[in-house]
Formats: sequence, structure tokens, C-alpha cells
Amino acid sequence: MFDFLGQYYPVFIQGAAQTVVISLIGICIGILLGLVVVAMNLSKFKPFSWLAKTYIAIVRGTPAMIQVMLIYYVLSKALPIPDIRFLGSSLDRVIPGSIALGVNSGAYTAEIFRSGIMSIAVGQTEAGISLGLSENTTLFSVVMPQAVRNILPAMGNEFISLIKESSVLFYIGVQEVTAQALGVGGTLYNFIPPLLVAAAIYFVLTFVLSQLLQLAENRMGRKYLALN
Amino acid sequence: MLTNTENIIEVRGLKKAFDQNMVLKDINFAVKKEEKVVIIGPSGGGKSTLLRCLNHLDGNYTGDVLFKGQNLGQLSKKELQLCRRKMGMVFQQFNLFPHKSVLENITFAPVKLKLMSEAEAIANAHDLLKQVGLDEKAKAYPQSLSGGQQQRVAIVRSLAMQPEVMLFDEPTSALDPEMVGEVLGVMERLAKTGMTMVIVTHEMDFAQQIADKVLFMDNGHVADIGTPDYLFNHSKNFRTRTFLAKVM
Repeated sequence: MFDFLGQYYPVFIQGAAQTVVISLIGICIGILLGLVVVAMNLSKFKPFSWLAKTYIAIVRGTPAMIQVMLIYYVLSKALPIPDIRFLGSSLDRVIPGSIALGVNSGAYTAEIFRSGIMSIAVGQTEAGISLGLSENTTLFSVVMPQAVRNILPAMGNEFISLIKESSVLFYIGVQEVTAQALGVGGTLYNFIPPLLVAAAIYFVLTFVLSQLLQLAENRMGRKYLALN
Repeated sequence: MLTNTENIIEVRGLKKAFDQNMVLKDINFAVKKEEKVVIIGPSGGGKSTLLRCLNHLDGNYTGDVLFKGQNLGQLSKKELQLCRRKMGMVFQQFNLFPHKSVLENITFAPVKLKLMSEAEAIANAHDLLKQVGLDEKAKAYPQSLSGGQQQRVAIVRSLAMQPEVMLFDEPTSALDPEMVGEVLGVMERLAKTGMTMVIVTHEMDFAQQIADKVLFMDNGHVADIGTPDYLFNHSKNFRTRTFLAKVM
């Protein structure tokens, strides 16, 4: 049933690598964007807060597929990205695609950050402020490091979702693992085995990631809770 | 209006409401250099709220709060931060940073604000920790300490900023009874160094012993004010006497 792998395994490896690359870029952009958006959302300067809330509402309220396509079509007009091949796809598709994943993820991570910040007692902020620290220093040096520990499980969920949802980039022609599986399926006139391989690859990626996150969680917890 | 620069803190016509509920109703008092002012009174009387207005932790008030002649309500964010550095605050719940060791808790702000180098801050922290008998806990994390130890570290954390006044918001109220003494002891020694202190407390013996001036707050007013001897022994104020009769 899986004899085709002997011939097609490089295609799957390339697709898996592409999935890893776009997901990593998406996660990084998502985290950075999430930090900016949560700071704006909690800002006392109202226009920032409205902007952040609007962004979150729009991203969460529209399908990722449409966001990806819109961003791709807009960026491909606005940014002259050279047509360089990278892991079987053109960079003028990979770059807008990863940015779109990040823009999508940013809305969710911003909300996860907000839940983390709310989970930290207000006394921590007051202690920072009363020492003469600025509100931003208090947020990023006192509240955030504690919040990160509380939000790791939710962040893990978000990263796992993002890896799986990166398959939507198939629609703008990024040859990530789902696209490759469909391509192989078309050649074989049988889609089931290659799709099973793709599913297995997603499973391995997300499983490894969740183990890494578990490790991170344990390490961060040990620092100040296991001493009890 | 004339400002007495000898006053480290001056409060004039301070009013504050949470929604419709007036919690501070026209408060006036001053704290002079090296003075120890103790605020007592029933729960819900506005003591903590008043204290939190002194370093502008609670900002939505009317009236004036002055720190060394500077009206906190009229300062920019930056200027306000500079004032707060000079006003240490100790909280009922300690509020140590749980993700930082005792030493990091103490050195974090002075280093971050570039008041001293890291080496200086560490040396200073060890010095202060020795004074409260906790130097061997420098590497420990707050959660491994008892309440009394945490509060002593919290006091040290504030002192590391070399403040000109220390505000204490019921520093012993969250402690088990056997730990109250160690914290009050640290505060007493601090008082002897000439530190200016404003203390909200329910420890009446301590108040009587340490205070230069006692404010009795009830229902949002400074209902009575005077020396400890006056307030605890000679006040004719009905509410003061009723309160003291209940707690002593």
C-alpha cells in the first residue's frame, strides 16, 4: 500500500520541511504580533485599544482560507517578491503565505497573552509600579514572565493548530505537505495512502512540539514552585 | 497656596469615590521629615485607599497630594515614576515577584532603573538582607519562605531603592500571629534610623509605641488626629473611644 514511498519519499520530506518552515515563521510572527496587539489592547490610549480589538474581531470572525488568499493577492501586487524556488515552491507564495499565517495566529496569541496577564494578581503590577518602574517595564519584566508560564498550555494548542492549519497555504500554491500528498495522490490515482502519510507527518510534528512544550513547562515550573 | 517644603507629604482636600461611594471625604494632613504617622481605624474606613493615593497608585481623586512640594496629580508619567522611587511601599500580601529569587527581587528595580551597577546592587542587597537576618535566603524563591520572611524581604526590596519615605499598607495583617513580631521588629529598627514612615495598621500597641502622630480614620474622614498619648489615652472623640474599646 505504501510502496510509492520508495519513489516519492523526497517529495514528502520536502513538503514536511516546507510545512515546518511556514509554521515556524507563522508562529514567530504570531508571537511578536500578539505581544504588540496585547500591549495595544491594554493600553490606556483608546484608539490603540480599539484598533487591537478590531483586528482580533476581524481575524477571529473570518475564515483563515479567505485571509490567506486576500493577503496573498494583496501582497503579490504590493510587494515585488522574486520568483525564487524554495523547497518546491516560489518565494512569492511562501512569504505572503507565512505572513498570513502569522497575521491569523497573532489575534489568537494576543488573546492568550491577555488571559495570561489577567491571571497574574494585580498586586504584582502594583509592586512594580510602586518601585518606580514604568508600566511597560512592569508588564514585560514582572507580569509577562509569570504569565508565560500560565499560558504555555494554551500557547501549545495555538502552535499545534497553526501547524495543522498551515495546510490552507495549499490554496495559494505553497507546496507544503498536504499539497504534496494531493499531488502524489493524483499521480497514483489513489489519494488515501498519500493522505495517510501526510496525516502521519502532521501527527509526528505536533507530537514532538507538544513534548517540547511539556519540557518547557516543567523547567519553568521547577524554578519557583517545586521548592515548596 | 503656600507649600511647606519641610513636609515630605502633604494632603489637601483629598476626595475619592468608587462609583457613587465616597471613600475619602476631604482629607487634610502632612507628614514631616523623619515623622512616623500611623493610620488606624475600622475596616472600610478608607485607610488603605488613602495610603494608595500617597504614591498615586490610586489616581482618580480630587484634591492635592504633594510629595516634597510636587503635586503628584500634575506630574508627567516620568516625573511620577521618579517620585515613586523615593516612596517605598510595603503591601499586606507582600507582592514579591515569585519568578525571581530573593536577591533578584531586591536588585531588579535599582539595576533596571540604573540607580546602581549590578555589583553594587547585589552588595547593597546582601547588606540589607543581613540587617533583617535573611542573608542566607538570598538565593531562595519567595514561595519557599514563610510569610514573615517574605514581608521582611519586601521591606528590603523597597529599601534598596533608598526611599525618603516608606508606606506600609497593613504589613502584618496577612501574617500568622507568631510572625507579626519579626516584621514589626524590622519596622521598629527602621524607624530608629530616622526613616519617614506612614503606616496603616491594626497593631495598636505598635502604633502607640512607634507613632509621632496617629490618624484615626472612620467612614472616609480623619475623625481624630494627635499624638499617641492624646489619641489612645485622652481623646474625647466618641468614635475613637468606641473603636479603641473594641480593639484593645
